[in-house]
Amino acid sequence: MRYQSQSVAYWYFAVAIVLFGLQIVFGLLSAAKYLGPDPLLDVLPFDVTKVIHTNLLIVWVLLGFMGATYWLVPEESRTELHSVKLAYVQLVLFTVTGVTAVIGYLFRYGTGNKLLEQPLPHKLAIVATMLIFLYNVGMTIRKAGRFTVTEGVLVLGLAASAVLYLPALFEFENYTISIFYRWWTIHLWVEGVWMMIMGSFLAYLLIRLSGVDREVMEKWLYVIVGLVFIAGILGTAHHYYWVGVPSYWLPIGGFFSALEPVALVGMAAYAYFALRRAGLSHPNKLALHWTIGSTVFALFGAGLLGLSHTWPAVNRWTHGTLVTAMHGHSAFYGAYAMIVLAMITYALPTMTRSPHEGESYLGYAAFWLQIAGMFGMTLSFATAGVAQVYLERIVGLGYLDTQLKIQVHFLMLILTASIFAIGVGLFIYDFFRRVPLTEVAADEAVELSASGEAQPAG
Amino acid sequence: MTTRQARMFAIASTAIAALVFLILTVHSHTRFPALTNAEAITPAVVAGKDVWHRYNCINCHTLFGEGAYYAPDLTKIAQLRGDAYLTAYMRDPGQFYDERVHRRLMPKQNLSDQEIADLIAFLSWASNVDTQGWPPRPILVATGLAAPGAAEQPGVTAVPTRPVSPEDDPIAAGENVFKNATPACLACHSTTPGVNLAGPSLAGIASRAEELIASGEYTGEAEDAAGYIRESIVAPSAHIIPGAMYSAGGMSFMPATYAESLSDEEIDQLVAYLMSFR
Ligand code: HEC
Ligand code: HEC
Ligand code: HEM
Ligand code: HEM
Ligand SMILES: [Fe+2]
Repeated sequence: MRYQSQSVAYWYFAVAIVLFGLQIVFGLLSAAKYLGPDPLLDVLPFDVTKVIHTNLLIVWVLLGFMGATYWLVPEESRTELHSVKLAYVQLVLFTVTGVTAVIGYLFRYGTGNKLLEQPLPHKLAIVATMLIFLYNVGMTIRKAGRFTVTEGVLVLGLAASAVLYLPALFEFENYTISIFYRWWTIHLWVEGVWMMIMGSFLAYLLIRLSGVDREVMEKWLYVIVGLVFIAGILGTAHHYYWVGVPSYWLPIGGFFSALEPVALVGMAAYAYFALRRAGLSHPNKLALHWTIGSTVFALFGAGLLGLSHTWPAVNRWTHGTLVTAMHGHSAFYGAYAMIVLAMITYALPTMTRSPHEGESYLGYAAFWLQIAGMFGMTLSFATAGVAQVYLERIVGLGYLDTQLKIQVHFLMLILTASIFAIGVGLFIYDFFRRVPLTEVAADEAVELSASGEAQPAG
Repeated sequence: MTTRQARMFAIASTAIAALVFLILTVHSHTRFPALTNAEAITPAVVAGKDVWHRYNCINCHTLFGEGAYYAPDLTKIAQLRGDAYLTAYMRDPGQFYDERVHRRLMPKQNLSDQEIADLIAFLSWASNVDTQGWPPRPILVATGLAAPGAAEQPGVTAVPTRPVSPEDDPIAAGENVFKNATPACLACHSTTPGVNLAGPSLAGIASRAEELIASGEYTGEAEDAAGYIRESIVAPSAHIIPGAMYSAGGMSFMPATYAESLSDEEIDQLVAYLMSFR
């Protein structure tokens, strides 16, 4: 930690991973209901556990993004944050909004479309906290007068995320039109502006962890952003196939979304070449695991598995089945959960005092258990989904009869999800057994020399 | 490539893609009214949409294939199931499905009758939106084919039959209609004795029909078994088979749409086919 105000990031991360843990609890509950019968049918039915599962995901990932930004911006701009107090106010506001929304869902207080179920007052509060956040970051950069490309892409991505949330504030009488605009938020987030956020965290981490030259990284960051948007914007149409829109969206969606993996290949190649050319220059190998892991898992989950059902002729059969859940989990985890965990793992040793020396065995166990668990979950959803498509959509078996026949995949899902959950538990434990620092540590020599900023291109 | 060029690439590609996307969005708006039957969006449909959201149906079900995967897709449900059935079902799903059989059940939603009526209006509107031919075949809630004992029975598998040709025997053609009409008769009727699905088993229907007409309990207008079967298809409520599973308030749960959706010839073929079950 070079700037004292970076310590706000600790509290963002702390809340984020607690909510991550809670998300997993609700995920396991939901999966158990697939197996059934459900003893909680009238108290806590599937719709409630599932909506809490996905909303907690969004809340914690956004908290992670914000915390990581508060960590990154002072370093890039070489200054203290504009207002630490405001950052804490914002954290409290955002957490309260998220947590009350989730409590509201327990009582079915929540409206609107999938993933955008937040009640209107909560939506407005979310917009307000985003504005506070952007103001605080913007003022920090303005006061410093120093602005890197990495930081610029990050802040633009965050600002665009706020803007793209605005369509969610409107209600449409025509359900088709509300679906149309729902994707302006959801798709353009995960396959558009959040990629900018991921890309800039990646650039930041690679510059610090390897000895690679900043100039080179930032040039390629631009290229990746370009690739994301060429494909991603028109790729929105892969959600427009069967919802009551004109048929020209079918070929457009198929063609452009099939190009989306190019940007993900780009990110993985980016990480690979950074290491090939410049080598490792930082002791935090665990953070490197998470960083590289994120690019590889995102390429697999978003790129490969996204591609697998993005063509209209395939999507016609898989649409609305567990195949979507297969892709949703692996993509979200690889791209966004892992990049946040990478930022946390990178920052953790310098923002906390650890009770032990050297590398943390626990940290590696958490990493590998999560990877193995999520891979297994992806396979379980995939096999369940493919069987569902075959039995329900091709053979013509009833929905309920089909679900009964694929129970074995749900057992596999619960088993692998439990492995994953242990990994998450270890990560949380590893985080909280450290003591947060509030002062800038005296000995920052290692970290400074490792930042790679002064080194020539390898 | 310089950093400047890379930046130009990023900005230009984003701008061009965004522009094309916006133009197509504007154009799509000119097409929405026709594709979604926007004039059919009555206040009841809008109210039904609000009920849909208020009760969080989207986090169990999919609609237009979007939502959750715990419960069946409802895009075309209003075409598969009539209003009378849907009303009775939504009042109490537990009367129609058994959690011990399927390990899943829709919890009772405590919907008012007004809310149910609005929901049905909404789902009926949704079922008429032009979804480009999706789903590729009707998504049925339960065919009962996995019910104990049913799977081993011959003749109950829902595999599409061979292509029909004009030379086909009417009975064979009728069997094809039975499997492929929308919604498929097979979805609700087995031809296996004792396997009652959403509708009664049609095993032995020809003899049963004769007995029924002779018995004096019959309320319709048919004079013979073939006439009875024809009437059952074109006017399901003319005579009702007793059972809370089958009807409510004098309205059969069997869809009343076949008189329109099937041609006279197809109905003849169906009658021929079913008359073969003696
Ligand atoms: C907790 C999950 C859950 C929620 C919430 C839920 N459903 Fe269902 N629904 C199911 C399941 C499971 C089935 C399959 C049949 C059964 O087991 O009852 C089903 C079946 C149906 C059917 C088809 C019945 C048939 O036999 O054709 C309709 C229609 C339906 N639901 C409408 C709704 C509506 C409208 C809402 C919101 C008011 C809703 N459901 C909310 C779980 C749910
Ligand atoms: C959605 C479920 C459903 C579908 C699909 C359906 N039926 Fe029915 N059918 C019923 C129900 C319920 C009854 C019993 C209530 C009644 O008497 O109308 C019934 C009754 C009948 C009867 C009288 C049975 C008896 O024992 O007297 C015949 C014949 C019949 N259906 C034929 C057909 C044919 C042919 C088709 C396809 C063109 C068809 N049904 C499609 C639900 C369905
Ligand atoms: C990091 C990036 C990505 C994330 C986090 C992600 C996540 C998701 C999620 C959560 C859904 C379900 C959404 C819903 O129904 O509400 C979804 C759907 C989908 N995704 Fe992705 N995705 C990513 C990238 C991609 C890519 C690159 C492709 C294509 C190559 C793709 C193709 C699809 C398709 C076709 C669907 C629709 C499935 C259907 O409903 O039929 N995704 N994605
Ligand atoms: C123990 C681990 C987990 C379990 C058991 C689990 C289980 C589930 C279940 C049962 C659903 C509902 C699917 C449906 O609609 O039927 C779901 C949805 C979802 N979960 Fe998880 N989950 C877990 C972890 C995660 C993680 C770590 C992430 C992301 C980082 C995640 C992201 C999602 C998303 C995006 C959806 C919506 C998917 C869609 O609609 O296609 N889950 N999860
Ligand atoms: Fe998408």
